Amino acid sequence: MVDMSGVGDAELVRRVLSGDPAAFAGLVTRYRDRLGRYAVRMLGNQADAEDALQETFVRAYRSLGRCTDADRFGAWVFGILVNRCRTLGAQRARRERLQVADDAALLRAASHDDPVGRQALRAAITAALGQLAPLLREAFLLRFVEELSYEEMADVTGASVSALKMRVLRARTEMQRLLGDVTDA
Amino acid sequence: MREHDDLLERGIALLREPVVIDGGVNTRVMDAVARLPLPARPSRLHQAGTWLIHPRPIRVRPVVVLAAAAALAVAAVGLRDRAEPPAAPTVTAAARAGPAPVRFILVAPTATAVSLVGDFNDWIAAATPMEGDVAEGLWVVTVPLPPGRYRYAFLVDGATWVPDPNAPRTIDDDFGRPNSVLTIGGS
Repeated sequence: MVDMSGVGDAELVRRVLSGDPAAFAGLVTRYRDRLGRYAVRMLGNQADAEDALQETFVRAYRSLGRCTDADRFGAWVFGILVNRCRTLGAQRARRERLQVADDAALLRAASHDDPVGRQALRAAITAALGQLAPLLREAFLLRFVEELSYEEMADVTGASVSALKMRVLRARTEMQRLLGDVTDA
Repeated sequence: MREHDDLLERGIALLREPVVIDGGVNTRVMDAVARLPLPARPSRLHQAGTWLIHPRPIRVRPVVVLAAAAALAVAAVGLRDRAEPPAAPTVTAAARAGPAPVRFILVAPTATAVSLVGDFNDWIAAATPMEGDVAEGLWVVTVPLPPGRYRYAFLVDGATWVPDPNAPRTIDDDFGRPNSVLTIGGS
């Protein structure tokens, strides 16, 4: 395997467009884990996240000529992932609704098991995240977990900054309420 | 509340921890890539699409100015009189020669975000956000498009797929959703 860790995004994109599809592997390796974290948190399970990730990279490859600023490949591919997660989330909405019931049970279990412990908190925040509306969950993750600026969030979501600020505020308030329910239980 | 803030911050720190993704994803992606043709280099259509992002000085003939004014008038009518539905996408006379600015309008009073998606932007939701006038509930974007036949739709609040109510529809969609059709230059 060729080590492409020292090669910049723009150069890897240029190599692919010049007829070297193997160079795309460097981009996949570079962004797999970062994108994977968002997909896992957004979709709530590893299998769906890996499906979304795979579809994202394949779509990115097919559309690579449309990446206007190859130095910002990371932000561009993130936008595709956000879109794939929305589509997959909507397609699996029915299953997600069933999942909510499990999440509620998990919240209660976490509170009784170990209210301040790390594992309990991990379970509680994962469950709370699962109960947020998809657009609020998306905004919460992009802002607080991926630590994007509002301008970067607008780039990847297509939403306006003012709409995003509103979603982040609502998401944070809702997360505090859900976690509060656990600690106060 | 402060206690809940602290709990939330600790929870966010946990969510930031790395997630282990199966290395098989790389293999599956590269297997799929190997079966695909090489991605196309940036096309003239794509370069036209960057026109709005990177504005540059242009010289226009009076006829184009008049056409642009007519397009703005259509939008203004839509703003002033909400009883009249907005027109189908507006195309200026410049369509005959090359990329022409096309104005897309959607009335969606309850929306918080609307994007234009179509085969001209690879159906990417983030590619063409529409400017919203929340008070009027009107969402507008102008996109330069060369002559051709395009499929498109509006994505409302990132989740609801809405065909243009003022344009012909097609059901020819990869995901079974209704889209609208726009033909520029009579092709």
